Amino acid sequence: MIEFEYSELTPSERALQAEVREFLDRVLPPGSYHPALGFQAEKDPEFSRKLGAQGYLGMSLPKQYGGHERSAVDRFVVTEELLRRGAPVGHHWVADRQSGPVIAKFGTEAQKQRFIPGIAAGELSFCIGMSEPDSGSDLASVATKATRDGDGWVLEGRKIWTTFAHLNDWAIVLCRSTPVAELTDKRQGMSQFIVDLTSPGLTATPIPFIDGTSDFCEVELDHVFVPDELVLGSIGQGWAQNTSELAYERGGPDRWLSSYTLLAELLRLHEQQPLPDRIADVLGEALANYWVLHSLSLSVARSIDSGGAPAVESSLVKEMGTRFEQDVVTAVNAVVDEAPNMADTSTFSRLLISATLTNPSFTIRGGTNEVLRSVAAKGLQPSGGKR
Amino acid sequence: MSAFAADELVAETVDRLLLDLCSPDVVEHAEAEGWVPDLWHAFSESGFPWVSLPDTAGGSGGTLGDAAAILHAIGRYAAPVPVAETGMLAGWLLAGAGLAIPGGPATVAVGLSLEGARLVGDATVAWAARSERIVALVQDGATWKVASVPASAVSITRGANLAGEPRDLVRFEVASGAFDLAAAADGVDADALLQRGALSRVVMSAGALRAMTQITVDYTNERKQFGKTIAGFQAVQQFLVNTAQCSVRVNMAAERATRALAAGEPGITIAAAKVLTDAAVAEGTRAAHQAHGAMGVTREYPLHQLSRRLWAWRHEYGTASMWRRRLGTAAHRAGAEGLFQLVTG
Ligand SMILES: Cc1cc2nc3c(=O)[nH]c(=O)nc-3n(C[C@H](O)[C@H](O)[C@H](O)COP(=O)(O)OP(=O)(O)OC[C@H]3O[C@@H](n4cnc5c(N)ncnc54)[C@H](O)[C@@H]3O)c2cc1C
Repeated sequence: MIEFEYSELTPSERALQAEVREFLDRVLPPGSYHPALGFQAEKDPEFSRKLGAQGYLGMSLPKQYGGHERSAVDRFVVTEELLRRGAPVGHHWVADRQSGPVIAKFGTEAQKQRFIPGIAAGELSFCIGMSEPDSGSDLASVATKATRDGDGWVLEGRKIWTTFAHLNDWAIVLCRSTPVAELTDKRQGMSQFIVDLTSPGLTATPIPFIDGTSDFCEVELDHVFVPDELVLGSIGQGWAQNTSELAYERGGPDRWLSSYTLLAELLRLHEQQPLPDRIADVLGEALANYWVLHSLSLSVARSIDSGGAPAVESSLVKEMGTRFEQDVVTAVNAVVDEAPNMADTSTFSRLLISATLTNPSFTIRGGTNEVLRSVAAKGLQPSGGKR
Repeated sequence: MSAFAADELVAETVDRLLLDLCSPDVVEHAEAEGWVPDLWHAFSESGFPWVSLPDTAGGSGGTLGDAAAILHAIGRYAAPVPVAETGMLAGWLLAGAGLAIPGGPATVAVGLSLEGARLVGDATVAWAARSERIVALVQDGATWKVASVPASAVSITRGANLAGEPRDLVRFEVASGAFDLAAAADGVDADALLQRGALSRVVMSAGALRAMTQITVDYTNERKQFGKTIAGFQAVQQFLVNTAQCSVRVNMAAERATRALAAGEPGITIAAAKVLTDAAVAEGTRAAHQAHGAMGVTREYPLHQLSRRLWAWRHEYGTASMWRRRLGTAAHRAGAEGLFQLVTG
């Protein structure tokens, strides 16, 4: 049965939380930036560098490479604070959340020395190179081909929805290195490569997003050479490595805080006046859900720290957390008297418009809810009559 | 640490007791008869109804977490015993006021008043006809007082909630001298009682939702259609995951709220837990029933013992809409910058 062990922040984790709050109040006072919707946030390399200097990035990574060897719960505390403020985390987000940890786990000594310091400093930015035009949920069907060539590999194919590929430094790209025809299981014969986004033959073209922004890209890999020293982990082990990378993507506060800033702004609009019942109801319902999702997400982080592999639990949280994020957008829209107008640039209006237009993506990015339910269902097994 | 920070031994013993004595047949029988003497006797022998009340006041000792672990088990097995009423509610009022805790079941009544020295009013009271004492919290001027009334001193009309658990209609016209009256403990007022009552329902619901998830998983792994177990269908897996999510949310909420109350700082926790329970009951029972097909809606299969209780308990100790509005007001008081502090606590 699925178990979420109850957990609370320890005094030292509370102290970290207070420290992060104090730091962010100082470097990111309300009014000094445009709050984002969770991790769908602007790139602000300068802000990322400040976080890095403060020790808030690469928190779980080894100290010898510039990381901090802190716990998953410490990282949880920091990301919660960043996301609830809608901080501009876009530049370092993927590198800090997943690329750094997978390089620390599977990378060579040289790769760790080369990449981890920059990730922990908030300087290097990474992309996720998984999805392809014909491979979305069925990732094992990726067709981007890696072919042996001298002291390296040549990549040929097309990636899509690659967030910030036109601006970032690196991407971890999942490829097919042995043709499916030679295998018994298509999950074999896959490999991951660390690809320089300025490589000759690589073209990243932004794709317009539903709200008119353009952060995700189509990436064409036309005979892109990757030297052996940039193979991540083992050739042929790409599927297992990629699955472990996905685990970092799920279950965290980024999967339930995406519309928090919208709700907080709704509250701000009513701060100096009596609270209408219908607004109280929206705030109350949302508060109850944030309150419990915080505890569930904390429980997942604690389980990681004690050596668990809470893949099922993470999927369960992400699946309901993202639905809740959408419910908040629906609920706020239901109590707004004036139709959103694109000319209104107030923070609330900007967030409402963006959240309304982009919230369908909450339950798609990082694995669709349907796929997550299949993963979670594996954790629900018969009990033999025990209650 | 075990759930609710409860004593492992207490949790295991109550689980074994219920496994032995509280089969679905027993629950069914209780509904017809209104009472299972053996089950109450076993609880009473082990002292479970009075867990969390101090030994010095005639309780069984132990923590609020221990009491919650017992209520959780009662929720899992749909056990027809007035344990929440006897200990966590009536017993708590009595012990705080220095009044005697009876040897048999006790229960609580709200909404009564003192007219002169008489206790008057009408109330729906859980398990009234089975209780030795009915305990009321009444206002006397500016102070709160606890009245302990022998059940024989009131007139009781039998009633029941949706799950067939006794919810009797009681008329109080009790003369002074026919009941005991003492000042309530510090901090005990109508709201404190409401919060405790709500927490008891949240914890029992958490147990019922967990059991409901498990029996739904079990059933869908046995039932075959189209040549395979229905748990193999993605559409059915969705119901399982949905039920599990409802259970997980309420269980986490129940535990966090129990610990907060035990630490004397309930804050928004019980309100949040009650709101979450209401939504989870609606969503979870819908998914579990759908996954069972017709089997779920017969009295011959035990799903209804859980779903009917969940539907009944959500009405007790404040509606979700009342608690939700309270939370909204708390959010307003905290303001946009302070809101997240309520989330993290
Ligand atoms: C904003 C945004 C940013 C993204 N950024 C990146 C990125 O940086 N890098 C990257 O690699 N990818 C990125 N993605 C892509 C994302 O990972 C995919 O969209 C996702 O994995 C789903 O794939 P798909 O869009 O091809 O949908 P499909 O797989 O085609 O799914 C369409 C529908 O079919 C359902 N479906 C498919 N298979 C099954 C099944 N077996 N059972 C039941 N239902 C099924 C899905 O659940 C969905 O409802 C991003 C996506 C978004 C929206």
